Amino acid sequence: MLGFAVAVVLFAYSAVGLGLKGKLPPGLPVDILVFAAVMLAAHLAVRRFAPYADPLLLPLAGLLNGLGLVMIYRLAESGRGGNPGLQVTDMSASATTTQLLYTGVGIIAMMAVLVLIREPRVLQRYTYTLGAVGLILLAIPAMLPASHSVVNGAKVWITFGSFSVEPGEFARLALAVFFAGYLVNKRDALALTGRRVLGIDLPRARDLGPVLLAWAASLLILIFETDIGTSALFFGMFIAMLYIATQRTSWLLIGVSLFVAGSWLTALLFSHVMERFTVWLHPFQGTNPTGIAYQPVQGLEGMAFGGIFGTGLGQGQPYHTPLVQSDYIFTAFGEELGLVGIMALLLVFGLLVQRGLRAALAVRDPFSKLLVGGLSFVLALQVFVIVGGVSGLIPLTGVTTPFLSEGGSSLVASWILIGLLIRVSDSARKPAPQPIQDEGMTQVVRAA
Amino acid sequence: MNRGLLRISLVCLAMFVLLLLNINYLQAFRASKLAAEPGNIRVFDQQFSYQRGAIIAAGDGTDAKIAESRLIKGTDTYQRYYPQGKVYAPITGYDTIYGQSGIEEAENSLLAGTSSQLAVHNFTALLTGKEKQGATVDLTVSPAAQTAAYKALAADGGHSAAVVAIQPSTGAILALASYPTFNPNDLTTFDGATLNKVDHQLLTERSQPLLNRATQETYPPGSSFKIVTSSAAFSEHKVANPNTLVNAPEPLVLPNGNNLINDGGELCGDGHPPIIQAFWMSCNTAFGELGMKLTAPTLRKYSSLYGMNRSLSIPLPVVPSVLPEVKGWTDPSLTAFSAIGQFNDAVTPLQEAMFAATVANHGTLMYPYLVQQVVGPGLSVIQQAHKRVLSRAVSPTVAGYVQSMMNQVTHNPGGTAYATAGPQVTGGITIDGKTGTAQNGLDNGNLDDAVFTCFVPGGNGQPSPIAVGVIVQGGGFGADAAAPIAVQVIKAYLGAHS
Repeated sequence: MLGFAVAVVLFAYSAVGLGLKGKLPPGLPVDILVFAAVMLAAHLAVRRFAPYADPLLLPLAGLLNGLGLVMIYRLAESGRGGNPGLQVTDMSASATTTQLLYTGVGIIAMMAVLVLIREPRVLQRYTYTLGAVGLILLAIPAMLPASHSVVNGAKVWITFGSFSVEPGEFARLALAVFFAGYLVNKRDALALTGRRVLGIDLPRARDLGPVLLAWAASLLILIFETDIGTSALFFGMFIAMLYIATQRTSWLLIGVSLFVAGSWLTALLFSHVMERFTVWLHPFQGTNPTGIAYQPVQGLEGMAFGGIFGTGLGQGQPYHTPLVQSDYIFTAFGEELGLVGIMALLLVFGLLVQRGLRAALAVRDPFSKLLVGGLSFVLALQVFVIVGGVSGLIPLTGVTTPFLSEGGSSLVASWILIGLLIRVSDSARKPAPQPIQDEGMTQVVRAA
Repeated sequence: MNRGLLRISLVCLAMFVLLLLNINYLQAFRASKLAAEPGNIRVFDQQFSYQRGAIIAAGDGTDAKIAESRLIKGTDTYQRYYPQGKVYAPITGYDTIYGQSGIEEAENSLLAGTSSQLAVHNFTALLTGKEKQGATVDLTVSPAAQTAAYKALAADGGHSAAVVAIQPSTGAILALASYPTFNPNDLTTFDGATLNKVDHQLLTERSQPLLNRATQETYPPGSSFKIVTSSAAFSEHKVANPNTLVNAPEPLVLPNGNNLINDGGELCGDGHPPIIQAFWMSCNTAFGELGMKLTAPTLRKYSSLYGMNRSLSIPLPVVPSVLPEVKGWTDPSLTAFSAIGQFNDAVTPLQEAMFAATVANHGTLMYPYLVQQVVGPGLSVIQQAHKRVLSRAVSPTVAGYVQSMMNQVTHNPGGTAYATAGPQVTGGITIDGKTGTAQNGLDNGNLDDAVFTCFVPGGNGQPSPIAVGVIVQGGGFGADAAAPIAVQVIKAYLGAHS
């Protein structure tokens, strides 16, 4: 399976070179060898440390990562070295190498997860530690001055010099652990107490506390870091885990209505949030296509230009779309691989989420169940938010496309997530331990 | 907790289904609408990123490029260029960033290389890494005739006018000029604002330079319609031959009490001339009375046989020339006017050329066409024109009768075009024709339109080489304003083909 994934990446990489200049990319052998070696290392680590893990998880993630690399190579090459097209702004010529490097870092992080966490339950010990770490990570960009935290209008970064980290990506993982640990402890209180009003079980007021806290935190992210995407993911994950833990529809209703009310309120209060709605509903109205809706319109027109079969890798014009290498990378796939290509990509994402949920269903330990259920859901939600955003289904919020977008934080965090999924799927599928008191054939002793 | 997990799984499934539905809608159904969105930079870039095919006037046996795409220095972009500008504008039309007209529009998919007929070629080009290229369109147009036609119209002094020349035996269009016209090079700019400005100026100008008068505008044919009336009279045996005497009173008292008079109230011969004399003198009363005898439906039938009452595609769209079935059109008093090309009769300059071409081709009208062949980037012929019959209008005998009458118009000293298209002004070229001086406007308030339709007869087994139709709006007498234009076109064409 992994070999197949590497082969697909190899073909796609070659196609970019042929599409751009009519010959194979010069860096192809080295890049592909490095990629294959990294994947092989990951494979061996999984065989060694999690032998019972779901065999689909690594190849699926590897395929997505590889295709992301190919697209980043294609975009970085655009307008450089005699290639047709325009240079993509904010993209350096060495973007492919950097991304390949982060792939390696991501795989190492995944292996570290496998080595350090031999039993997923161990994490439960660090519930509150990780909760605090998550909150701090989330809050750092808000505290830092704009010169060290704002990239492309979103105040979610920690930058020093040319190096930048998006702590929110890691905070999400830490908070998932915190939520899982917290909810496992409190689930009975949350699920069983309260009054029934109009057919809906209302929780006790004091149990509402954590929900309101999460809601307030996500609103604060929204306000101070001008990032709707992260806050939606953060809050969505919390609500989903709360629902899994308690199975009470009331939590879902309360959560969703809180989020809708919060967004509506911020839309009224902050013009940049309102603008997102305008752009979503009327991208082609008036001067919007050349003004505030320029990026979404370019994204939509790019996908439409690709049509059903796409222009072919290297033969479209994705470079017209601003930030096509990060938030809008999915539209570049839509343009060059067409409807068929991105349907396949979505199915790969869907399969990944499904394998994660499957592991959550199979594992016995409630903490692992909650953790992996929440992580799988947040992966699906992230794909939904960004793909739905760039294809005009929902208002656009800037989150990265897992594995595909350029950027180290997102890639490394995604690989850590895969590491957790692999670990949990391994413990779910591990055969039950053999009883140790194997005493050989029962010997019948005649008592005289 | 598994129940909750299963529900959450359903939510995930729903999210993916929504995404899949949305991208299907976007990329399969909404794609063409988005492609047509103004300012779609991708569609725009692609359109000019490879060489659009050339348009060539090949009617003189040599290739004259009249539209080509040139690589702008230092870029990957091609810009359209029309070497002859205004001369061929009514034929080529324009190719702008927003759209096309003329041949550029009619043959757009071949010129742009997007036609399915070029699919195989485009695919090979893709595999071999060659640049995609449009197909070349070869026109039937004769550069000699076209240049003469444009010059003659421009020299006329500002009248709106159009001239069309056809090869009668095939229907190939040799010249098609309209005046005033525009320079398509003014519209090839990539700057949308400049283009809008030029476009607005052309659209609001009173002289309507964008109007192709040869194919898109109709005028009363006047006396040139007597070709149709006499053809009907011979074919329906109302008149035996050109020497048969006809009644030509002055005036002709119509059933409704009105008078139909000859031009200037002139007596037509002795009032009972042979039809050939009534034709060369262009007596209205003789043909008015013939028309009433034939009745309106018969006249309409023969007008249709001459190619009227239908639209054509050459492949430029051509509006129908009509003898319309309007209210009361069968009233004999009105039919008398229909028979002399007045009342509601309206024809295009192309139709005028078709009148003469039908007679020149022994009564058979060929379907007029502009595109001789389309040549793919690999020099393979993708499309080839085949001549086809539009209508067998009249028998060769009747066509011969009409030809002998048209011959007298230019060769009899009493003929209406003797002075302007007779042998002494044509330098020995035989031209047979018919003039028309058409009244127009409600109370004839405007100047008369000058009309002339003519052809050079064949001989010695050779088919007729050229038939020409001219209409000069407000030009006055057909013989004075229209005939000289036709003569110049014919001289230029025969000069290039001798």
